[in-house]
Amino acid sequence: MKISGAYTVPVAQERAYQLLQDPAILAQCMPGADHLDKVGDNEYEMKMKMSIASIGGLFAGKVRLMDQSPPESFRLVVDGSGKIGFVKGDGALTLIPQGDSTEVKYEGEVQVGGTIASVGQRLLDTTSKLIIKKFFEKFSELAAQSALT
Amino acid sequence: MIAQNFEYSSPANLKDALGLLSKDDTKALAGGMSLIPLMKLRLAAPATVVDLGRIPDLNYIREEGGTMRIGATTTHYQVESSALIRSRCPLLAEAASNIGDIQVRNMGTIGGSIAHADPAADYPASLLALETKVVLVTAKGQREVAISDFFVDTFTTALDTGELIREVIVPVEEQSVGTSYHKMVQPASGFAIVGVAARVKKAGGKIVMARVGVTGLSGKPYRAINVEKALEGTAGSATDIQKAAALVADGVDANSDLHASADYRKHLARVYAMRALTVALSRTV
Repeated sequence: MKISGAYTVPVAQERAYQLLQDPAILAQCMPGADHLDKVGDNEYEMKMKMSIASIGGLFAGKVRLMDQSPPESFRLVVDGSGKIGFVKGDGALTLIPQGDSTEVKYEGEVQVGGTIASVGQRLLDTTSKLIIKKFFEKFSELAAQSALT
Repeated sequence: MIAQNFEYSSPANLKDALGLLSKDDTKALAGGMSLIPLMKLRLAAPATVVDLGRIPDLNYIREEGGTMRIGATTTHYQVESSALIRSRCPLLAEAASNIGDIQVRNMGTIGGSIAHADPAADYPASLLALETKVVLVTAKGQREVAISDFFVDTFTTALDTGELIREVIVPVEEQSVGTSYHKMVQPASGFAIVGVAARVKKAGGKIVMARVGVTGLSGKPYRAINVEKALEGTAGSATDIQKAAALVADGVDANSDLHASADYRKHLARVYAMRALTVALSRTV
């Protein structure tokens, strides 16, 4: 499944880039994640407790940051699996300066498999949009706070 | 498949239910049309399930001061077949009669459906067009939320942890208002690929009130206010309806899945908005 979209975050490009590379920030923005453990260069392990509708599940996975060219773009690769299925995501993020704020464009491919995919086809599109929206809402909130301090 | 083990309780009154629901990892069970399949597939595994089905105080249909109050565990079939709802709020009866199949309508409840907030559910389109209020209750008290604030996003509502829907409040329809609900059904599941509910009122040859609710098109159901505005003040001719209905998907981030692409869904929304509005207008007095 292809995904794409854009969000505007309330900090300048360089700051936005810096924050998007910060594992402590990323961990707070991923819905249901509590922390990222560094396992290599730009590679982290995480546990995510997802709960959408009545569906709940624990996912364990890896996050990798690749092809970094600050402060414009990088790739975010997420790979997770749990009892109810697996998720693989690979997205290119581009940061476009807009004065004091930054437009973050994303474009990528998400693969979902296992029980959750076989029974939840109808819901994958809306659900992945919801997760991405939650990520950027939280990120904007944290970025706005960091701009104040 | 068989669900994971869980504790089951079936309290006889609302107070006990709210007490039980304040604990962690507990789910409320109404008709079980969404929760039970998810549990059987082990996509959901709550530690405790609180069955609301034996609380008489949640199952009722009442007329009160120009409104209809419908208890949360009232089934779709009860709504569809109630003489009171059919005469006082026919749109809701029509919406209920369009849900899933007869088995689902016999078990599924109005509270369960909106608490689950499936983006393709039928009720939301009509409830939005009716400007419904939802009464939410916790052990500490109750509050009233407008339906447009109740639906926050896909599967996400204004319900707090431990909070239950007590009832929904819809207006008693004026005789002069015409209503209609039209949907493109997904035949395997009975869900709406797109569904549009319309309410219109005419006076002196002009449309003086229009309400349009849309489900299935995007992550959350919405009221198409631009369509309403475009229609109000017109005579409601076929051209007026067509022009207004053409706006229904404007600026909407449409869903896409294996049943319907985003563009096709937007097209369906325009077609079904036109049909719903045409029929609603033909029912005005």
